[in-house]
Amino acid sequence: MDQLSSLREAILIGDGGAAARAAGEALAAGVSPVDVIAEGISPAMGEVGQLFEEGEYFVPELLIAARATKEVFAILRPLLAETGARPAGRVLLATVEGDLHDIGKNLVGMMLEGAGFEVVDLGVDIPASRFVSAVEAERPQIVGLSALLTTTMPAMKTTLEALDAAGLRSQVKVMVGGAPVTQRYADSIGADGYGDTATAAVELARSLIGRQDAEASQG
Amino acid sequence: MNDRQWDQLVAVIRGETIRPLPTGFIIDSPWLPKWAGHTILDYFTDDRVFLEDNFKAIDTFPDTIFLPGFWSEYGMCTEPSAFGSISVWEENEFPFSKKVIHSVAEVDDLLTPNPRKNGLLPFVVKRLAHLQPEIERRGHKIHFAVARGPLNIASFLMGTTEFLTAIKTDPEAMHRLLGIVTDYLVDWIAFQREAFPTIDGILLLDDIVGFISRRDFETFGLPYLRRAYDTDVTVKFFHNDAPCKASAPLLADAGINLLNFGIQHTLTEMRTWTEGKITLLGNIPPRDVLADGTAADVERAVTEMLEAFEDRSRLIVSCGGGMPPGAPTENIRALIATVARLTS
Repeated sequence: MDQLSSLREAILIGDGGAAARAAGEALAAGVSPVDVIAEGISPAMGEVGQLFEEGEYFVPELLIAARATKEVFAILRPLLAETGARPAGRVLLATVEGDLHDIGKNLVGMMLEGAGFEVVDLGVDIPASRFVSAVEAERPQIVGLSALLTTTMPAMKTTLEALDAAGLRSQVKVMVGGAPVTQRYADSIGADGYGDTATAAVELARSLIGRQDAEASQG
Repeated sequence: MNDRQWDQLVAVIRGETIRPLPTGFIIDSPWLPKWAGHTILDYFTDDRVFLEDNFKAIDTFPDTIFLPGFWSEYGMCTEPSAFGSISVWEENEFPFSKKVIHSVAEVDDLLTPNPRKNGLLPFVVKRLAHLQPEIERRGHKIHFAVARGPLNIASFLMGTTEFLTAIKTDPEAMHRLLGIVTDYLVDWIAFQREAFPTIDGILLLDDIVGFISRRDFETFGLPYLRRAYDTDVTVKFFHNDAPCKASAPLLADAGINLLNFGIQHTLTEMRTWTEGKITLLGNIPPRDVLADGTAADVERAVTEMLEAFEDRSRLIVSCGGGMPPGAPTENIRALIATVARLTS
């Protein structure tokens, strides 16, 4: 498993080329694409998240680590499609209407991808109606709403109301985040979860998928 | 800001202990127009509204210092506008700038703007100049040149994600970008000082500093901030309410002597990290307490903060960041009254 150690090292220093080479070598040595994610990328991104939480890593380190994983996923994605392996979950992400900030959304998206989620990124300044049409088209399990401004936070509530009015609210879990957002605000608008960091968002997404699966199994 | 408040501010920065402790707040478009009953766009476009709202705040809270005083800001749009950035305006939303650089290679196509002729900058200065006689007639002066900081401007020009990635992947290009931005910034500050000789302070706002490591701050932050502040003014004021443990020990090296920081850090931590060299402006939680709490919550937060921080020198009590949207009059009064009661 030296290749997976090399992959981990490459992700930790944000070297996409080295990460892609290590992943290629792992695949050539017989490691399955699923194991490259489960035993290479996910633990590495978990470590990156941990270093960020501890104040050892900062946003640029997080960004280049996530960028390195993207290069690996470019290799893995067609192989995963061949094997029929399912992602950890499908997440629709966007910054809400009126808000052009993308850093929080991008960090969450990259960390989610690193954790094996499939991410559909709608971009920034997304009106509620586009969330509705995207949920209908993409069928995500989770919708992630980001806002950096206190003035754009109400668009989170508007989006939840639009999903409800379209009869889609029960089909998705909604998680919210962004600098001005708090757990209290998330609760007040009826969101299913709130994450205060990108790593917290990954844990939250895992738990929401778990809740969704449990609810589905209860019929 | 009147002369008495300015003198008080300077005295605190020099290390004099004033009783009661002064309070002060950064006030601007996120809080002021709505609090005063106007839309953000009216605040930006109607000089009477701008003046009326500022004086309403001054008259309502005469015992606090509003920083930087009269500040003809246009949200985040002012500095990027001179690079040709599209400004997006809504009636009651903060204006926003669209990025102008879409790849690292485009950095080399950037021209250094002329603050005297480009973008919104001449309007910012002229607007204040037109209002200056009335401001001064009512006992106040324009004391600060104000701008977004170099990393903040760079991130608006190319996108925050892209900028923070590129300092790792294309450091030389980012130094060229920051060099252009800082040349412009220095000229912009000089233009404001020429227009208003009463200016004796600089306020730079740059939250992007809070997103990078100490090493990256030493490389991409400190040299450019040092240049921007390298002028003979008395007050060198910096706002960064993102986490700033990594940069805090180096801020004094940039010349900064007044810091408004976020609630991630306590006054004690910041005093230690800045080695007591910088006057601290903070740091009651702006949203959860000052805006969303009750007056009793504010009183409790102020009391706890002051009880935990015995050294009363170089301290101006405020919130951790600018005045938050929705902060009600009674909560601001509660903060000011509690500080007066506890520190007289």
